[in-house]
Amino acid sequence: MTDVATTSIHDDVSEILLGEEEIRQRVGELGRELVERYADRDPVLVSVLKGSLVFLADLMRSMEMPVSIDLMEVSSYGAGTESSGQVRIIKDLSQPIEGRHVIVVEDIIDTGLTLNYLLKYLADKGPASVSIVCLLDKPARRLAEIPIDHVGFTIPDRFVIGYGLDYDERYRNLPYVGVLKPSVYGGAEPVE
Amino acid sequence: MATSVTTARPPRFAHASEAELARILDYYGVAWHYEPDVFPISWTSDGTVVECFAPDFYLPEIDLYVELTTLKQSLVRKKNRKLRWMRQLYPEVRVKLFYARDFRALMVKYGRHAVLSAVVEANGAPNGARTPGAGDPPLTHEPVAARGAA
Repeated sequence: MTDVATTSIHDDVSEILLGEEEIRQRVGELGRELVERYADRDPVLVSVLKGSLVFLADLMRSMEMPVSIDLMEVSSYGAGTESSGQVRIIKDLSQPIEGRHVIVVEDIIDTGLTLNYLLKYLADKGPASVSIVCLLDKPARRLAEIPIDHVGFTIPDRFVIGYGLDYDERYRNLPYVGVLKPSVYGGAEPVE
Repeated sequence: MATSVTTARPPRFAHASEAELARILDYYGVAWHYEPDVFPISWTSDGTVVECFAPDFYLPEIDLYVELTTLKQSLVRKKNRKLRWMRQLYPEVRVKLFYARDFRALMVKYGRHAVLSAVVEANGAPNGARTPGAGDPPLTHEPVAARGAA
């Protein structure tokens, strides 16, 4: 049985990639960029659950302007996926976006496959515009062309957790972005 | 939404990792073609093609070829060499090489540990074009056209 008192989620972090202060500053800058771009345009921030939740919470509070928010959840390819399976919307928008200026808020863009699907889905809803703000851009394994408008940080090819990002639904509550120890997921140290 | 697989029937994949990548692309509705093109990369002095590079996938929506190798990092020198020639001879063609570590990261991200184990077990079964051996004529990486009538 695990000894809860001596187990810390920090123990599985090999390195802090982005500290709390660094993230706070950059998110503030992104917020100001969005305010400047969307002044008087009444944008709606659409966040993709669950990883983007922490980023959304901080980003919207850094935007001193009227904004509305909406949440979506998209199924992920995974262990239980059947060979004929296809991505589906688990939680759809709760309000129409026709004619609205949509800002998609993403925690991390890796392969870009989920976002690529989502952008096509949102385009069918007739928004006035769609832009993307992501905290972390990891371009090494990109398999879809994603026009990212606002990037917090471009990061190397490491398995990152924290600030909303998970491994097996854990570590989302870390206040920083850290690199997960390969031993946790049975991997080896990357060759740089 | 975009249609996914662009072949009438699933192709016979040379490696389990390729089949898995095809399933991922299908899942997210990304169109792909399996080994649709072969690029000659070395020739004999009389212009006979002796070595080719046939990337595993072509993604038409983003005009990108993807080559997947699940060989150990230390064993990918040959494939890297091919890719170098490919980029030199066909600079307008975009090719992304997915190494074993990239495939492993994808599988970990998607929780496909069983697939990862199966692929690792079946490792060492690279696919690709014929490579020159002893007795072959001297090779060049210049196509006949580039060498003029020589």
